[in-house]
Amino acid sequence: MAAFEIYVQQGCVPDSLRPSLESAIRSACRTVLGPVSLPVNVAWTVIARGCGFRGGVPSTTSLVRGRIPDGCDRETRARFLRTIGRDWCDQVGCAPDEVLVSARDWSWTG
Amino acid sequence: MPFYRCLVPKDSLTYEQRERIAVAITDVHCGNSTAPRNFVQVALMDSSPGESVPDSHGSGQVRYDTPYFVAGGNRAGRSEETKANILEGILTRVSQIAAVPREMVSGFISEAPGSWTMEAGRILPDPGEEAEWCRQRTR
Repeated sequence: MAAFEIYVQQGCVPDSLRPSLESAIRSACRTVLGPVSLPVNVAWTVIARGCGFRGGVPSTTSLVRGRIPDGCDRETRARFLRTIGRDWCDQVGCAPDEVLVSARDWSWTG
Repeated sequence: MPFYRCLVPKDSLTYEQRERIAVAITDVHCGNSTAPRNFVQVALMDSSPGESVPDSHGSGQVRYDTPYFVAGGNRAGRSEETKANILEGILTRVSQIAAVPREMVSGFISEAPGSWTMEAGRILPDPGEEAEWCRQRTR
């Protein structure tokens, strides 16, 4: 199983893209991590205009924060993060600097 | 990677206060670490005491019982003293800018290895290795 919380700045990612963005994340889970990462739950949070900042100035950055099954090696995790980031940029039309992707081990409590 | 979610009562802050909090959190974080300023992300979100927020660690939920709550997520690898300074500095500044007693603000910071996060298409460095990471990024 995997779970993702996605934070987007209001007005930066059209709602209409959500199904295909979720599909891309599920595809990355299936192809890079394997069946152990299924099913994949995705939750969205919109950061209201005037409430999201980066470096102290208004932000356009999206954050895709995931929890994935334990045991993922460094190389596979990096490939997983890059796959999601690349798909996100392709679909949203944003710069690589405008999406942050993370994937913690499921049992991580740090 | 630093991502600070500030849960605040609905309509309790003006835009100026929100902006000042974002700048203050960035100042505190960068004043206690070597992280570049544009690493620091802050989101101010409406909430109510007794609620819980999703968090990508542990049970996946964090409960809190103060009107103002800061949920931070940082890279692992800093000393306990540094982590404590960052958290206390942020909570103090939030209470000052929001003009509420310090007791009304609580929070926590969770951590994860830098290699578990990708930003700008690149896996993040561990704390202290940002300068080289940024140099490579601009090549």
